[in-house]
Amino acid sequence: MERPDWGHTTDLDDVSGRAAIAGVGESAYTKASGRTAREIGAEAAERAIADAGLEPSDIDGLTWNRAFADFDAAAFHEHFGTSHDLWTSQWGGGMTWAGTAPHLAAKAIEAGKATHVLNVFAVAWATQRGSMTGGPGETHAAQPLKQNLEVPFGFFPQPVYFATIMRRHMLEFGTTEEQFGAIAVASRRHANLHPDAVMHEKRMTLDDYLASPVLADPLRMFDSCLISDGGAAFVTTSIDRARDLRQPPAVVAGVGEGTATSGGHWSQQPAFTSTPQVFAAPPAFKMAGLDPADVDVLTVYDPFTVVSMMQIEDMGFCPKGEAGLLAEEGGLSHDSGRLAFNTHGGLLSHAYVLGIAHVVEVVKQLRGTAPAQVPGCEVGVYGGYTGGNASTLILRTDR
Amino acid sequence: MALKRADFPLPDLADERTAEYFAGAARGELVLPRCDSCNRFVWYPEDECPHCGARSFTWTRVSGRGRVFTWTVVRRAFLPAFEEMVPFVTALVSLEEDPAVRIVSYIVDCEPDALAADLPVEAVFRPLQFPTVPDRSVPVPMFVPAAAEPGAR
Repeated sequence: MERPDWGHTTDLDDVSGRAAIAGVGESAYTKASGRTAREIGAEAAERAIADAGLEPSDIDGLTWNRAFADFDAAAFHEHFGTSHDLWTSQWGGGMTWAGTAPHLAAKAIEAGKATHVLNVFAVAWATQRGSMTGGPGETHAAQPLKQNLEVPFGFFPQPVYFATIMRRHMLEFGTTEEQFGAIAVASRRHANLHPDAVMHEKRMTLDDYLASPVLADPLRMFDSCLISDGGAAFVTTSIDRARDLRQPPAVVAGVGEGTATSGGHWSQQPAFTSTPQVFAAPPAFKMAGLDPADVDVLTVYDPFTVVSMMQIEDMGFCPKGEAGLLAEEGGLSHDSGRLAFNTHGGLLSHAYVLGIAHVVEVVKQLRGTAPAQVPGCEVGVYGGYTGGNASTLILRTDR
Repeated sequence: MALKRADFPLPDLADERTAEYFAGAARGELVLPRCDSCNRFVWYPEDECPHCGARSFTWTRVSGRGRVFTWTVVRRAFLPAFEEMVPFVTALVSLEEDPAVRIVSYIVDCEPDALAADLPVEAVFRPLQFPTVPDRSVPVPMFVPAAAEPGAR
């Protein structure tokens, strides 16, 4: 199959059916809580371990993200009062890596380096916002090329980048503001059904969306993710071990990872209205032996409505340019029978915890315990995104 | 912000990867790094040419003409420096010499309603100044709608 030349697929070993997520745990998802990311991460870790029916001493592998090293091995041992050996990797956590962490774990387990691998991600950006530290903008402003060639020209921060991408999507495919709004409204409706969602009690209609402040035309406040405190964690183990534990296994069926040549510079992205899902999703589906039509629930990393739109298209759930139509027709609702999407509310309306809760939501859907449950859910997919990278994680019920 | 540089968000003229860009603007020229081996423009600057792998570049003057690829009217000031500027138009301009090269800058002397995809624009060089950095300005490329070509009148 011919692939475009603006990125590449990571060569990942086939782990299909050999590992499973056996436990999930979540902290409270809140606005500013006054807590640290380390405390939040510890709470999520504790709950994930308990959910799997394990003890902290059973955890012999730990993954987190190198840029968010709040809950690392030292924090784990300090919190649980343990001192045993841990296999570790800093290539886990949230965003793209929430999707590839199960692959990392599966490989470590297969190599005999670990048995139960815990992946943790937590942020306290709502709390930190008070002191103007942390948050998505600061990370970008610190990069020299953005600092010199973009920030001085008002092309900063993320809402501005994605406003220009929305504009191109509208120009190229005839996408409308109402179609972006339909994604925001579907997400909010799911959050309204989810008791843990930050926006659980706040209703939103399409009129509310259209009336929300324009931050950078055509991007509105309601196209944008929240800023939250919160975190989640999950335990990956071998399929055999998972079958002995208390929860029904969420089997790792396929994993894919893609990278764009332009890295994190949206301005220079050759395929301006596409994401590296173009390179991540096809190998994941191939590994799983499945097809987008087999998928019962999809959660994607959704900092802005257009990022959801692009990933839905790039992962093959509809032809390029038609995700807006799918949204407008109500096809993203959990009970639509079409593409149940971000059934917890996503980064837009559940909590901005950078994708880790998206994976937890897929696991809950497969267990049949999600608040906005998709009937008969057997295959769930997470689409991770970090600008220059994307990942696809396909989970399924045990056969 | 954790950024310590006092003149932020003005560009850091000491950064050697982009110093030539601003030196060119100070002379009234739009200059971009061009690979000495394959002659292609490499934007943003990189140590190694992504097309041929060569590591030698010459900052080369270009026409300054291009077309609007996409744009946004920024209404919310995301930095204190932008508070008195909003609303403003920031755009990606595809360069005439190589449309894959996109320059990020302001579109000025143009009503937002007049903006359109592929609108021809040309570079002008104006001082960039922020009220939060009162005693400094840096000449930079900005873009204005291109004057109609004589034959088109």
